[in-house]
Amino acid sequence: MENTLVQGLKERIANASFTNPSVGIILPGSNYVDLTHAVYEHMRDTSSNNWIYVTITKPYHVVKKEMGTILDTSGIFFIDCISRAAGIQTMDPQCYFLDSPAQLERLILEIVHFVKNQSDKEKTYIVLDAVSSLILYNDEILVTEFFTHLISNMNLFNAHTISLCLEEEMTDQMNKMLYLKNDKIIKVKESFI
Amino acid sequence: MSQYEKEMVRVTEQQHATSPTDSNDSYCITGIEPLDRKLGGGIPLGNSVLMVGSSGSGKTTFCMQFLANGARKGERGVFFTITEPLFKLTKNMENFQFYDKKLIEQGMVNIIDLRIISDRLGLNVEKYSVEDASALLEVLKDIADELQVKRLVIDSITALCYRLESDEMIRDFIFKLGSSLAAMGCTTLLTSEIPPTTSGELKYSRYGIEEFIADGIIYLSDIDRKGDLIRTMQIVKMRGTSHSRSKSAMNISSDRGIEISTLLKSRG
Repeated sequence: MENTLVQGLKERIANASFTNPSVGIILPGSNYVDLTHAVYEHMRDTSSNNWIYVTITKPYHVVKKEMGTILDTSGIFFIDCISRAAGIQTMDPQCYFLDSPAQLERLILEIVHFVKNQSDKEKTYIVLDAVSSLILYNDEILVTEFFTHLISNMNLFNAHTISLCLEEEMTDQMNKMLYLKNDKIIKVKESFI
Repeated sequence: MSQYEKEMVRVTEQQHATSPTDSNDSYCITGIEPLDRKLGGGIPLGNSVLMVGSSGSGKTTFCMQFLANGARKGERGVFFTITEPLFKLTKNMENFQFYDKKLIEQGMVNIIDLRIISDRLGLNVEKYSVEDASALLEVLKDIADELQVKRLVIDSITALCYRLESDEMIRDFIFKLGSSLAAMGCTTLLTSEIPPTTSGELKYSRYGIEEFIADGIIYLSDIDRKGDLIRTMQIVKMRGTSHSRSKSAMNISSDRGIEISTLLKSRG
């Protein structure tokens, strides 16, 4: 049976990211699974684009397994920010493992490196899942600075970003940052679901 | 000329629009893009630059990348090692994309163990006399001249200075080496080993002399962010150029080598 919430989210993501280079999606943690599902479906429907998926909430192997039930993941490049920090030492050519989610400069370098090497034929999208989780490992002002640099760099290379944010992890400063730096915000309220 | 080199020429032209005596040939492009941009085009040709850092900070990798990038542009280079055996040095470089064995085979990058030269000169003493130092200096100049190198590295100047008896000898050695190589249009990197700083006091060389003689200082260090060491690079001094002095984040990628990016300044 088709999940109407997932379909609704997918449509909103598709419409927003088609016209806006940077999209932020804020929603309650209880609907996080629906959101990621919607993002995966959107990725499947636009698989001709270049996709880079940054995992900050769940380790790469978990995300890949979940994603694999919805789309062919072979063309997607991953950056895993948390496996190494959690002591998981797997290797995979499809994924770059960051030593720690505190290495924000290195995260920018890896994303920029990927984006630079993509063909101009298709759009390049970066999904940050979830940018709000960075706050668990870094001071919020540092995360704000990181996000500002990332968006500026992505604008330079005409790459698009989709930043997932969990409402429960958000602070006032992060909220301001998301509204200021993203071209479009999709806010999902529990009462509307 | 690659797109990047064209860009560097453009940057140099812009920066020196008011200085007609400078030409585009007056910079030695390191090939590490953001660094060249921070330097306004590259290291001024013939400068001797101190690459300062503690153990594992990336000095040797930086220097090898500098030589390999130069070799690809047709600039021959020589790497004098004192601290590491040749086989170990090349083995450590094998995974980097900038490293190409052919550059060594073709003589574009020459790696020479300075300890072997010292032995051949009969300089197997604990401390060099003035004559010993002078003989070594002549050999270094001769090799640079004979190979017609445009880039030269001594890794490390600290180990070499250890053998020089006095501050005056260190000063004299570095000054003479730098000026002879500059006359040949050769740009030199001298690695300087320093212990990690804990007191916050900045020191760029073991003997406190090297930094005054060198034309430039590039300082590699770390900042601690909640237990994670973030590599940093800073141009402290570079004679002949107006350069940025802000700290950058540095990364040593297992394949791409040295990379520079903006350092997030808010301290976490």
